[in-house]
Amino acid sequence: MTAPRPPAPISDYGLLGDTRTAALVASDGAIDWLCVPRFDGEPLFGRLVGGPPAGTFRVGPAAAATVVGRRYRRHTATLETTWAVDGCRLTLTEAMVAEVSGRLLPTTLLVRRLSAEGGAVDAAVEFDPRLGAPHRRPRARHRGGILVCEWGALAVSLTGTPELAVEPGRPTPVTVLPGRPLTLVLAVAYREPLIHVEPAAAWDLVGEDEARWRAWTAGIQESLPFREHVVRSLLTLRLLTYSPSQAPVAAPTTSLPEDPGGARNWDYRYVWPRDASIGVNAFLGVGKLDQAQGFLAWLLHASRLERPRLPALFTLNGRHVPPERELPGWPGYHDSVPVRVGNGAADQHQLDGYGWVVDAAWVFVQAGHRLYSETWRAVRGFADVVARRWREPDAGVWEVREPGQHVHSKLMGWLALDRALRIADTHRLSARQRRRWQSARDAIAAEVRARGFDPAQASYVRSYGSTDLDAALLVLPLLGMDSTESARVQGTIDAIRERLSAGGPLLYRYPPGRDGLPGTEGAFLPCSFWLVQALASTGRRVEAIELFQALLDHASPLGLYAEEMDPATGAHLGNYPQTLTHAALVQAALAIRDSPQVDR
Amino acid sequence: MDWAGWAVFGLVATAALTATMIAAQLAGLTRLDLPLVLGTLVTGDPDRARVVGFFIHLVAGQGFALGYAAAFAVLHSATWWIGALFGGLHVAIALTVLLPLLPGAHPRMASLRAGPSSTAVLEPPGLFALNYGVQTPAVAVVVHVIYGVVLGLLLRAH
Repeated sequence: MTAPRPPAPISDYGLLGDTRTAALVASDGAIDWLCVPRFDGEPLFGRLVGGPPAGTFRVGPAAAATVVGRRYRRHTATLETTWAVDGCRLTLTEAMVAEVSGRLLPTTLLVRRLSAEGGAVDAAVEFDPRLGAPHRRPRARHRGGILVCEWGALAVSLTGTPELAVEPGRPTPVTVLPGRPLTLVLAVAYREPLIHVEPAAAWDLVGEDEARWRAWTAGIQESLPFREHVVRSLLTLRLLTYSPSQAPVAAPTTSLPEDPGGARNWDYRYVWPRDASIGVNAFLGVGKLDQAQGFLAWLLHASRLERPRLPALFTLNGRHVPPERELPGWPGYHDSVPVRVGNGAADQHQLDGYGWVVDAAWVFVQAGHRLYSETWRAVRGFADVVARRWREPDAGVWEVREPGQHVHSKLMGWLALDRALRIADTHRLSARQRRRWQSARDAIAAEVRARGFDPAQASYVRSYGSTDLDAALLVLPLLGMDSTESARVQGTIDAIRERLSAGGPLLYRYPPGRDGLPGTEGAFLPCSFWLVQALASTGRRVEAIELFQALLDHASPLGLYAEEMDPATGAHLGNYPQTLTHAALVQAALAIRDSPQVDR
Repeated sequence: MDWAGWAVFGLVATAALTATMIAAQLAGLTRLDLPLVLGTLVTGDPDRARVVGFFIHLVAGQGFALGYAAAFAVLHSATWWIGALFGGLHVAIALTVLLPLLPGAHPRMASLRAGPSSTAVLEPPGLFALNYGVQTPAVAVVVHVIYGVVLGLLLRAH
């Protein structure tokens, strides 16, 4: 039986990925989350939110041991964890093989190697795969030293060198000798035959992947500020981008809580065009054109069925996200129930999404590229929707369940029209359409200035008639609607920084609890990076750098970020790692790079 | 075999199939765009690809029509319902064999095994082309049955 142990803190988990799915591995060597065959598939190891019956795959010391080192190999996706055991050292080196195309390799291939230094070390392997919501146990059998577990269309195999008699659900003791590492290979087959890979060959594949990742990161500007952190974020963004469609998943997990013990648990294994567009800007900012092109092509394809309406989120293949449902019997991460799959925000009207997407297209054009005429048609359609619907209430960037007149949404509507008009300077547009967009853009600006600004606070506010602030308004200096020098922009930045402060560099996205949901939540990490960006782009470079540095100190030990953070304890909250947070980090660093060297 | 009918009505049937599929796309029923899928074999520009793909599709449709004409000749019968049955068989092969095989041969289509170095941008169709929308199999069946019915009505059996 798998020993009952509480899940590790969220920040204890490292990310292993192959750009098709991802695993989360704790510092005790336990993979507590892995969905197959792709990010939004069924969990094979789900202990993170499903408890011990949901399965795990632990490889590590036989007894509790002290972690003395944990890191990604530089500029790669290979993770190393080292424990001190009775005066010796045991190191787990692990990765998923990303590049399997064009070769006879399984689509999902996980390689884990234990090696000892200083003497023999007692280790253990706990392999307990359980599939899906009902934690289905496999039909297991051994074939010539290979453990094969089957569930109909899905099968996994576990191969080891030296050979190991692993039984699912039972810890298997093993002694690792110096110079004789234990290499385990997990292969997954879905609707296809299993492909067995010799552990030595699989280990070579990890080396080849490392070389590819290093080559990929070598193309990132050397002089980029905080380059090592930016590289880790870009690697994380790439690992979370589903290569078959080029769509970035918001996070590889579901239902890691924003409020531990509470009900704010959501499924993020889908694609939000908003988050993805921010990611496109991040990739373009460091010269990674392929990712930007891939995303625009995906968006064009995915939005086709509902165009010109832009759905708030899609599946990885651009399909409608399944309705939200709860998994009965799943205890959740530290008793945070319910555990949800699917997402109820799919049908919301979110005006801001159009702004992010059109802005991504503008950044692409600004970088010297031309939109295909079909892409431009799609962008024109989005701008038309904004011109027609901007007065309607929407769910906004925070996806509140009760629609409202959100100032941030209006600003992003303004952004969509403004950037579409800029693109039209080099792309064909009828005079009538141009006039309609200009008229709507000007009307939005006039209305937002009249109804969305509170002179008493010298700040724009969350929604018309409200006195609440909204940290999403930190995008204001990037839009160009008001001058970055203006009192409105500076006042908004200062008001948000002061009144939404969660202590240190952290910000709440809006006054905590003011969203109609039960419970509360932590500080929202992307907002802090947006503050860095706002400060840098308004000439407050020194403040921006100080804040950025402080935020880096809040990263997980492996440089990863969740969506939120408990301001009191510094614990990461919410799904993890988060595309939006990492994209915001990269954009903040780029804003620092592009800011004048001298403060205003 | 009805060679003259094949020469003319193969084009008519393919045009009917294409028109119905475009109508289904415009109605938001599917993202399956055969001219785009075929044309991107040649070029990465979606607009040019559609033009090229349309002609490739016409040629392919004409090729399939040859099979229909031959089958009608063998059966000594050409009726709308036999054409519809052939259309059903045709679409079954297209959805279960031809489209799933495409990622292996298409230079701009990613496969489900695509990795970080993939620069392919066209999404793989997946099982029954469901990645292009849940109604895609139904649309594909309808347009191919129309293709078969048109040929069944217009071709002669000998």
